[in-house]
Amino acid sequence: MKAGPSQEEIRRHNLGTLLRHVHIGGSTSRAVLADRMGLNRSTILGLVSELASAGLVREELPGDTGRAGRPSLVVRPESDRVYVLAFDVGVDRLAAARIGLGGVFLDRRETPWPHGGFDAGEVAGVLAGFARQMVDTAPESTFCVGVGAAVRGLVRRPDGLVRSAAHIGWEDEEFGELLTRRLGLGLTVAVENEANLGALAEHLRGAGTGCQDLVYLHGDIGIGGGVIVDGQLLGGDGGYGGEIGHMVVNPRGGRTCGCGARGCLESEAGERALLEAARRDPSATGREAVRAVVEAADRGDISARAALHDVGDWLGIGVATLVNVFNPRAVIFGGTLREVFLGSAAQIRSRINSQALAASREHLRLRVGELGDDAVLVGAAELAFSDVLVGPLEALARTGG
Amino acid sequence: MTATPILQLRGIDKSFGPVQVLHDVSFTVHPGEVTALVGDNGAGKSTLVKCIGGIHPIDGGEYWFEGERVHVHSPRDAAAMGVEIVYQDLALCDNLDIVQNMFLGREKRSGLVLDDATMEEMAAKTLEGLSVRTVKSIRQQVSSLSGGQRQTVAIAKAVLWNSKVVILDEPTAALGVAQTAQVLELVRRLADNGLAVVLISHNMNDVFAVSDRIAALYLGRMAAEVKASDVTHSQIVELITSGRSGDLGLAHTNGATA
Repeated sequence: MKAGPSQEEIRRHNLGTLLRHVHIGGSTSRAVLADRMGLNRSTILGLVSELASAGLVREELPGDTGRAGRPSLVVRPESDRVYVLAFDVGVDRLAAARIGLGGVFLDRRETPWPHGGFDAGEVAGVLAGFARQMVDTAPESTFCVGVGAAVRGLVRRPDGLVRSAAHIGWEDEEFGELLTRRLGLGLTVAVENEANLGALAEHLRGAGTGCQDLVYLHGDIGIGGGVIVDGQLLGGDGGYGGEIGHMVVNPRGGRTCGCGARGCLESEAGERALLEAARRDPSATGREAVRAVVEAADRGDISARAALHDVGDWLGIGVATLVNVFNPRAVIFGGTLREVFLGSAAQIRSRINSQALAASREHLRLRVGELGDDAVLVGAAELAFSDVLVGPLEALARTGG
Repeated sequence: MTATPILQLRGIDKSFGPVQVLHDVSFTVHPGEVTALVGDNGAGKSTLVKCIGGIHPIDGGEYWFEGERVHVHSPRDAAAMGVEIVYQDLALCDNLDIVQNMFLGREKRSGLVLDDATMEEMAAKTLEGLSVRTVKSIRQQVSSLSGGQRQTVAIAKAVLWNSKVVILDEPTAALGVAQTAQVLELVRRLADNGLAVVLISHNMNDVFAVSDRIAALYLGRMAAEVKASDVTHSQIVELITSGRSGDLGLAHTNGATA
């Protein structure tokens, strides 16, 4: 029987925790770190110097603190030295970014991607091309410590098999493995659902900072969802949890959804429902089309107003149920739902206020995502960083740093 | 969040000559919250705000600030307590740059000359604290800014002075959708940073998107002060148009009930 964690394990844990603090919180003084981690200052000093000699953090004098006495040095993440690659397989675009420790965008590439032609090999090829460009132009003595990719579909845990991604026609696609091979960096690509990553990003760096329980809704061609419970992403048994878009809200009168069911939140309140109700040209889709409806409603267009009214109503019905089930502190609307929320907040709130339990909705905040279109990439980067934050030195040793 | 109110008005009366504009109005504002002040045209929103800001002296009633009864005789008194108002016309000078506008009339000096460096640093820090990323340079002339950016500068100007209560009069009127989104985010962030924000707006979506409490004025009377998580859109519309909605609102409404 094991008596408890060994000294080495404790040290590794502390190194990871400290790195996570500065990675998420930015420059932090040793004194504050000691306070937050509940360790004494000399332990912190030891941990910081170990991380500093590995090139993960740097110590510097803070700006004017306005207080008397010798200022405590601040510890900041060394964004230029270690980075991750983040990929986003969108429905109409492919995006890639090189993101440094501390969540800094160092480089990014993007290309529009037409509907329909979604061969996984081709997608992996384009993304690997982006990766090569970004890795080649990265300064010397910097190195990649992880890779994360987002797809709009159901992703199995822990192996990252894309079980189904209806909007791009994938079925049981071993995308992670494919991309890992194409990249040839010796790093396994972590694959995750895009809305889960959006939820993670807003939780760590956006509108949900400091909020341990939140629900994130991501509007795109459909509606994705991510749920953070007690600071952890809800995955479920196989990793498919949090599919809020396929919560049935209107089983009798609703439209048929792409998943085969009738009256899913996505089919009642998604992009297609909004554009159809507003009688828009069916060929124009995407963010611009949604924004145009919200703008038209703002100028007084009656059909646009009615469409937003309806969609807001369905969203409110869906969110009210989520509030009853998860009792979140915040519900965050991202992607195109950001515009939709601002254009129909009165309906959404009214529905929640009349359908959710009073105690559950009492402290509920409704927010729009703060990270905008970057949320998914930021989330993918956080996924890619997770190894380094568990055991910084081991992860570095593995990647040859 | 439900700590003691930072600003509380009790039984405020205000007349202009023979016309009584405010009747026994009470109004409460909490730190860290957005309180929406809604009402039809002529309901007394602007008068109430001007009473809070010390522009109009109040005829009767009590003005409490941070738990103490105060007497506010001028805008200077209100500003000294930390109450700032951003009016609809924003009162920015087109021919001055952002920093000059933010410090207009309250410039920092070092000796005889203006202390440009300090002002620039304070302005930059304030804008950064509000996560304003839309402004390219703080030395840009205000005439070159968009409507949303102007609103942002006007709000930043109000926040610069360590204000505790910021009152925004129709900040999203005349703005496009994208700029409205920016301003609403800023409004929310002010409250999340611990300020008390009063938002006057006619747009129910704006009201429900950001506010924690809603206060509805009807013909110079406070019809109801409610939490935004307790009411529906139609209840607020009823409060605005008839002064009552179900159990909420005024008992007798000047004959306007029928």
